Formats: sequence, C-alpha cells, structure tokens
Amino acid sequence: MKKITQWIDRRFPMTAFVKKELSEYPTPRNLSAWWNFGSLSGVVLVIQIITGIFLAMHYKPDAMQAFASVEHIMRDVNYGWLIRFMHSTGASAFFALIFIHMARTLYYGSYRAPRELMWWSGQVLLLMLMATAFMGYLLPWGQMSYWGAQVITSLFGAAPFIGEEIVIWLRGDFTVGDATLNRFFALHYLFPFLIVGLVMIHLVALHMVRSSNPSGINLADKDNIPFHPYFTVKDLFGLSVFLLIYAFFVFYSPNLFIEPDNYIPANPLQTPAHIVPEWYFLPFYAILRAVPDLVGGVIAMGVSVMIFAAMPYLDRSKIPGGARYRPIYRVLFYLFVVNVLVLGYVGAKPPEGWLVPLGQVATVIYFSIFVFLPYISKKEEIWLRAKGLPSVVEELICAEEEEKGKRSQRKNRGKE
Amino acid sequence: MTDDVKNPDDPERRDFLNTVTGVVAGVGVCAAAWPFISSMNPSRDVLSQSSTEVNLKDLKPGEGKTVAWQGKPVFILHRTDQQIENMSSSQGVKDPEADAERVLKPDWLVVIGICTHLGCVPNRVKDGWFCPCHGSAYDNSGRILHGPAPRNLDLPPYEFLTDSTLLIGRSST
Amino acid sequence: MNILVKISLLLTAFLVLSPASASTAAMPLAKLDIANDKESIQRGFEVYYNNCRFCHQLKYIKYQYLPDIGFDKAKVDALRGSQLINASLQSTMSEAAANEVFGAIPPDLSLMAKARKQGPRYIYTLLTAYYEKSDGGYDNKLMPGIKMPDPFGYSVANENSKVAIEAEAKDVVAFLNWAADPHADERKSLGIYVITYLIILSFLLYVIMKRVWRRLPPPVSEQL
Ligand code: FES
Repeated sequence: MKKITQWIDRRFPMTAFVKKELSEYPTPRNLSAWWNFGSLSGVVLVIQIITGIFLAMHYKPDAMQAFASVEHIMRDVNYGWLIRFMHSTGASAFFALIFIHMARTLYYGSYRAPRELMWWSGQVLLLMLMATAFMGYLLPWGQMSYWGAQVITSLFGAAPFIGEEIVIWLRGDFTVGDATLNRFFALHYLFPFLIVGLVMIHLVALHMVRSSNPSGINLADKDNIPFHPYFTVKDLFGLSVFLLIYAFFVFYSPNLFIEPDNYIPANPLQTPAHIVPEWYFLPFYAILRAVPDLVGGVIAMGVSVMIFAAMPYLDRSKIPGGARYRPIYRVLFYLFVVNVLVLGYVGAKPPEGWLVPLGQVATVIYFSIFVFLPYISKKEEIWLRAKGLPSVVEELICAEEEEKGKRSQRKNRGKE
Repeated sequence: MTDDVKNPDDPERRDFLNTVTGVVAGVGVCAAAWPFISSMNPSRDVLSQSSTEVNLKDLKPGEGKTVAWQGKPVFILHRTDQQIENMSSSQGVKDPEADAERVLKPDWLVVIGICTHLGCVPNRVKDGWFCPCHGSAYDNSGRILHGPAPRNLDLPPYEFLTDSTLLIGRSST
Repeated sequence: MNILVKISLLLTAFLVLSPASASTAAMPLAKLDIANDKESIQRGFEVYYNNCRFCHQLKYIKYQYLPDIGFDKAKVDALRGSQLINASLQSTMSEAAANEVFGAIPPDLSLMAKARKQGPRYIYTLLTAYYEKSDGGYDNKLMPGIKMPDPFGYSVANENSKVAIEAEAKDVVAFLNWAADPHADERKSLGIYVITYLIILSFLLYVIMKRVWRRLPPPVSEQL
C-alpha cells in the first residue's frame, strides 16, 4: 500500500493534496449546522447524477413513448420506482438545500469580500440548477410537464424584435414537441456535468478564501482546527440526518412533489385548469405574474433571480458578522424570508381576488429590500458605531480601513 | 473539553466504535448499490417474454418453422418417420450424441438456431441446416456434420403443454 | 438552533397549508378508508372487469401483474384467453366507437388514483355522486354534465342497493389505487428498513462526533 502511494506521489501530488485540502485544511472551529448545507448539496448532486444515469438507461425521449417509458420504469424495471422517486424527490431536496445554503450566506454576510467569487459562482450554479430542473421536468411528458415548458419557453417571446424566432428556435418546433423533448433530454443529461465543473471552481475559491463563520471575523487565519476529523465527522452526521429526512419523503410521500396532472399524458390541445410550477420556482413565478405586462414581468422575474449577485455591493456596511451584530439587517433578513414564503404561497394559487394585490405588494417589498439596502446598511453602520460596538469588532473595522488606506496609497504612488 | 467522562480517548473503545460505524456505513453503501445493479437486469416485461408458446397444429410431418424465443431463433422440425430412423441410427460426427437425448418426442426436433461457431443463423437445406457464414453443416438432429462449428446446436428448455402446444422456456407465471 | 427551528416551522406550515386549500371541486370529497387488502383489491378487479372495462382501458396494467393481487395462474390464463401474458388490459370498446357514443374517449384508468387530487376519494365520490334529475335523467354532483352514464345505477337505487353500490365503489377504488402504484406496499415496507438503518447510523455518527469534538484543543483567541 505504502509503495503504491509513494509511486503515485512521485508522479501526482496525491498525499500532499489530501493533506493540505482535506485532512489538515484549516477550518474555523465555530461553524454551526448551517455550514453543512454546501457539502449536502454536493452529495445530492451526486445522487441526482447516479439516479439520472440509471433512469436514462430505461427512459425514451420521444413524445410518443416518454410517458409510457416512465410508467415502464415505475412498474417493470427492477427497483425502477425507487430510482425514479429518488430522482424526483432529489430535485426538491436539491433546491431546499441550496435555498438554505443561500439563506445562510445572506444571514451571515458570507458573500462579502473576499468571498465575492464564491457568491457569484454560486449564483451561476443556481441558474444552471434551475435550467436543469426545468428541462428535467419536461421529460415525464405529463400535462404539467408539457404546459410548464410551453409557458416558460414562451417567456423568451418577450425578447425585443426576435422574440418569436427565439421561442421557435428553443423548441425546434412551433409548439413544445418531440424536438423540444429530445433536446431537453440531451441538455438535461449534459448540464449536471457542467455543474460538477463549476462546483470544482466554487470549491477552489473556497479553499483560497477559507470558510466564513458565524462570527463574521476571519477566524480561519487565526484560530482554526483541521478539517479532519472534526468536520468530516460533522458533515457525515449531517449527511445521515439529511438522508433520514430524504428517505422519509422517498418512501412515504414521493408523490408530494409530483402534481396529479403530471400523471395525465401531455395533451397539446388542452391546458390543465390551473398550472403551477414546481414549488422551488413559485416565488419567482409569483413575481412574473405580479407585473401586469409580459415584458415587464419577464424582466422582473429575471432580475429577482439575478439580483443576489449584487449583494456584495448593495451591502455597504463594514461591520462584520452579517446579521449577528446588525439588528436592522437581521430584521431585513427575516422580512425577506417571510416575504419569499408569501410570494411562494401566492405563486401556488390561481391569480384571483386579494391574492393579486398581495402578490404585487410582496413583489414591491422583495425589490425594495435590495434597493434600499445600500442606504440602510450605511445608516445602520453609523448608528451602531456611534452606539459603540464590541471592541474586537471595532478593532477589526479599523484594521481593515487601515489596510484599505495603505492599498490605495500604494496604488496612488504607483500612478505617480 | 469536558473531562468528566472517564477515558474519552480510550483507544480501544474508539477503535471499536469506529469499526462498527464503518462496517454499518459500508453495508449501507453496498445495499444502496443493489437497486441500481438490479435495475440493469431484464425488467419484468422482458422476463415475461422468457417463454414462448408455439402452436404445432398446422405443421405437417416434414415441415418446420422458426420461432423467436428470448429474441433468439428456435428451429422446430416435425420429423418424418424416415428422418427419425436416419437420425437415431447415427451418432453424429464431431460431437457424438444420441438422437434420443436431443428430443423429448422423436417427432419434434426443437433446437436453438444459432450456429455454435460464431453465431450466424444456419439455413434450412435438404436433410439439415447449413450455415452460410463459414460453412458448418448440421443434420436433422441439429448435430454438427462438418465445418468449423465445435458443438451440436444447443437445445432450449421446453415442454409440451398439450399434444399440439409447445412451451419454450420456463412456465410464464 | 433557534433560527433553525423557526424556519423549519415556517416551512412545514407552508408545505402543509398550501395543498390543503387548493381544492376547487364542486362538492366536498367523501371521507374514505382506502382498503389495501388483497380481497378488496380482487373484488375491485372484478368490478372493473365486469363494468368499467367495457369503456375504460388499463393501459399500464398487464396480465402478468395480476398474480400480485393474489390471482393464480389458472385465473390469469382464463382472463387473458389468447392474449399474451404481457398484454395490457384493453377496453372492449374501440376508441372510435366510444368517441361516437359519448363524444369523448373514456380516460385510461391505470393512473386515475394518482391523476386527481386525493385520487381515491375523488373516484369514490364521483361514483356515488349520481342523482336523479326531476326530468328523469341523471347528473353528477361532483362533475355536473358528466358524460359517463351512471355505471352502477346509483341515481335510481333505493337505500339498500345504495349501500351495496357504495361497497362496490370502495372495492374498485381499492383496485385502482393499487393499479396506480403497484409497488406502494413494497415501497412502504422497504422504507421501514431504510429509515431504521439511517436512525442507527445517525446515532453512531452522533456518538463519534461528540467524542471527536471533546478532544478539541482550547481556542487560541477570545471567542465572539
Ligand atoms: S458462424 Fe456458422 S459457420 Fe461460422
């Protein structure tokens, strides 16, 4: 064994890599359970890829056969039902984990310098995940699959001048059809591997800047403990608990995440009475519907997803630790979370009665939080510093300002 | 950080617990792999085709037909008395075998129609089959006469449900 | 942990509340215990076979599945006649003929118990929501203007035969519920093992985690 390791190490830095990036990788000691969700998402990505590959061995991306082939998987293939339910439940689990992972980042301000690239790669990962989930949802070729794809591809019709052409190009047909199904299948198979690649970049960036932590102060440089065994065992325990919840849904409530209408084969001539997207798209769907204009709605929805990327610039407070030392930011965070849940609720219902104005108010609140954040965060900082911060935090801010000052001086000197 | 537990670092105890957990986790991973491996085996509808029923009513002596069983060709030959006599008096050439051991009822020859050389399907010729690929010749008992094939034609499992229905493969339900 | 609890509470409340209020049916669905025993499912199969089958097919149920509900080989062979064992259960009426008579193609029933909200209750309610109109015709309270003729004559039945029809409807629901998800029993029993296993594994990992973290060196700097 040792000989083999040595043989490899002379050619590839295996031991050194494992030591530096896995076992001895310095990690803040105070990471809470909220720091488990990144690794959990990674595991779910692997589960989705494995179950997906095995499903693809039996699935037929053909408009005439797709629905029946899913039933074939559910009824004839050995354990096909298990693999399929793992995959369909896994999609929901993936979004749940990613949303919590994002919420943690927002709450603790982990998006701030120097972790902007992590946040942005995460933003791109979110978009790719959404695209993958959306394309995968077409594959069972049920009524909800079909009309969901029809509606979402139609959104691209909002593009100026060439909207119509883009929609037809996306579908490869004048409506969603066999060509659409086939290409969605091809891309649904491809995207997860692109996601894996981007996750690698996400991780390389993580190992450059190290984990953030609940205190918001960069402890990783000063006071850290090795990743192994402390965090390997913590992540494994977290994984086991996650699998427990996941198994509960897979075995006892697998149809919770599948709309009844999706057990009716796609019928291009009849739309179901009420189409809803999957739960993870509901808040964004509610924003789309809240704007009475098609183009405006599409833009609002796009911005509502992409606006997270601006967070490192919108949050102008220098106080570290995210919501921990910042009562106003904390209030905003909870307001945001509740507001997203309200939007989700509105998105799940038909747009009738008081739900319409509610959705509009929630949409306005959604964007207002982002728009006023620069002002509020600055004011909050001034107020908090006047009130007096814990000395450690104050020192840290001063040190950072000094550092910044020096950097700009050096820059200026360089210019002269 | 608490020292109130006796010997928290007792290496023996730790090793034992770690081993148990490792074994439990390992067993779990193997068990989780099983559904995936199993899913690649023939599915239920494919398995139900693992037997084929053949109606023998309209096959007169001297006539034969080829049916598909598990996707493979099976030659069925209703042999004449003359053919039966010829076959039972010979032992075959390359792979000697008595004709009686190759049939359930002497009237009916049932063999898998795949050349034992490299898998082509032999053609019916007078008094036997001839493989077009590399020239293996078989007699009316499916035994190899000459050519590169090493073995006689294989026999599928079969039974006669009635006098005129044949079931190739195992019983269907 | 406090926040974790809060958010999970919110999420559960959200998940629980949203499907509950989504019913748009014309009448409330009847309460129903869905039978899961082989006898009910078999009786339900007979009801399907002697009534529903004339118009509705069971596209995704093949004869080869029938032994799963306790029918023996002789019974299955008698049912399928000359059809292949892996043929699906076809209706006796062609789609074209049905279209001519009813103006619509009667839907496939294999997934019906999953293709409606509260599927089994929906089917049961639908079958027992027929009533006699004042002009002598019939209609359905759950689905006014229904095209399907009252299959059990519920609208004209007296109290006694209504009870019998309700029992039949329950059986056919049990059968259709099985047909929509034939592996449900297997799934639930396998789930017990998986969840027990994961509880044990979580416990072991928890103990190990607690012990590993006890060895943690004291912090270098003052903690915040
Ligand atoms: S395959 Fe038949 S002779 Fe070679």
